[in-house]
Amino acid sequence: MALRKLFTLIAAIAIIAMISSSFKLYEKPDNSIQQSEQTVAVQDMGVDESEAGGIAGLKKFYQYSGFANATAGHFVMILVGLFFIFLAIRYDYEPLLLIPIGVGILIGNIPFVEGVGLKLGIYEDGSVMNYLYKGVTLGIYPPLIFLGIGAMTDFSSLISNPKLMLLGAAAQIGIFLTFLGAIALGFNPPEAGAIGIIGGADGPTAIFLSSKLANGVNLYNGETVLNLIGPIAIAAYSYMALVPVIQPPIMRLLTNDKERVIKMKPPRVVPKLEKILFPIIGLLLTGFISPSSLPLLGMLFFGNLLKESGYTKRLADTARNSMIDIVTILLGVTVGASTQATVFLKDTSLMIFGLGAASFIIATAGGIMFAKFMNIFLSKDDKINPLVGAAGVSAVPDSARVVQNEGLKYDSSNHLLMHAMAPNVSGVIGSAVAAGILLSFLS
Amino acid sequence: MKLLDYILISSIWEFAITVTVIGYLIVLLALIFLFFVYLLIPKALDFYTRAKLRRAGKKESEESTISHSGEVNAAISMAIYLCMSERHDIESGKITAKKLSKRYSPWSSKIYTIMGGLNSRF
Repeated sequence: MALRKLFTLIAAIAIIAMISSSFKLYEKPDNSIQQSEQTVAVQDMGVDESEAGGIAGLKKFYQYSGFANATAGHFVMILVGLFFIFLAIRYDYEPLLLIPIGVGILIGNIPFVEGVGLKLGIYEDGSVMNYLYKGVTLGIYPPLIFLGIGAMTDFSSLISNPKLMLLGAAAQIGIFLTFLGAIALGFNPPEAGAIGIIGGADGPTAIFLSSKLANGVNLYNGETVLNLIGPIAIAAYSYMALVPVIQPPIMRLLTNDKERVIKMKPPRVVPKLEKILFPIIGLLLTGFISPSSLPLLGMLFFGNLLKESGYTKRLADTARNSMIDIVTILLGVTVGASTQATVFLKDTSLMIFGLGAASFIIATAGGIMFAKFMNIFLSKDDKINPLVGAAGVSAVPDSARVVQNEGLKYDSSNHLLMHAMAPNVSGVIGSAVAAGILLSFLS
Repeated sequence: MKLLDYILISSIWEFAITVTVIGYLIVLLALIFLFFVYLLIPKALDFYTRAKLRRAGKKESEESTISHSGEVNAAISMAIYLCMSERHDIESGKITAKKLSKRYSPWSSKIYTIMGGLNSRF
């Protein structure tokens, strides 16, 4: 187990190092003048008059092939894509996300001749990938994913013990401190807001906010903001997949043996009426508090109402199975393809990865410390196991699973999964509210 | 120029700190508000049920009796799960194809197969 984690960490560091070393490598084999000459040549058939037809055809074919247009950056990104696929298949790290993203990275980094009207690249208007990518840039996919999440989430543990909701709020400190960190590194406020949301540990929310704030189209102080959708999405999903590696050391560092074995009261049985009222009240309250979070939270609570009402089983089944699967495929592939080496391999990507790691650590620590703080005021029977606070970072359901495993390590009869699901789902709500607030401040 | 840069940077920081403090407070307060609302809902429902029972002249129970420990819930869940899965599997257990007894037919008779026919002829 330890070896596995060590290997994963070393591999992740190696990839980041490779990316950083390749920053200077994103230059075409020939210089830009030669490239433009090549493009013109391709447009003009790229053939010498004296050359025979067959040779000229072969030459043109070669100029259009990936081999002629490959750069070191493309190969680095292809390795990153393969690494994602490896992590998903070998270690079962978020395979439903990492496989589509990994394949997307491969698709997005197959070199081709740009600017000759082939309409192949994800950033070329009119290409098929560009149309699919519009679901990301226009913020269409994330709310649909939230609809599916709402239809598959059981909020019973949260309803039965609402004080655990505060842990989900506490963990959002990661978002705002990372926002400040990004400002310190020189990003402008909208870009920093989009980077900060990585601390929400929620992929769809991160993509939604970055598509609104750091989309390469909006203006801030007369300057166009950077397009950071790809790096932010990749960082968010990578760290979500690495939650089992990132969180346990922080959990051990911030808790003592006595705290780790605290047994919490079993959640009470939640009547159906309360389950039905939860999404309706949640939708109305969060909508009024932060209208900008409505696309996400509106769909989340709508999906949950489909599930809990008991009369829309067909719709709930579609939302949590077929629809979320289709959107996950499209989202994963397009986000992966958006990491085209020309756009992705920049200093900013490395900074985003660094800030993302910091935000996950801060968010985890925030949740744990707040649980300890709450314990000061709670009676002996109502104490919260501080490990549960780590699940406040969202990353549903991985962080709750990590809490369960850590709890079992210290007391094999202490099952924390049900309790951890409460801050876990409240983390989703908290990060969506935070995204709405950042959107209203920074857009 | 330096002064302008300084003013710009300080205004960005001022804005960023405002967003951080106010933003985090709103998130925290929003979820605290939700916490109180969800804390009140079961109490309100309970009060409503009791009032309804009182109006109907029925006796209301003091304590809810459906609060079980995790172990009891797990045992009940396991029993229901086993019951449901057992219910599906009440079958003979035979996995071999059922042998059908058919009336005699020349089409399945060994006598009329090619080899059988040839053997019988020579």
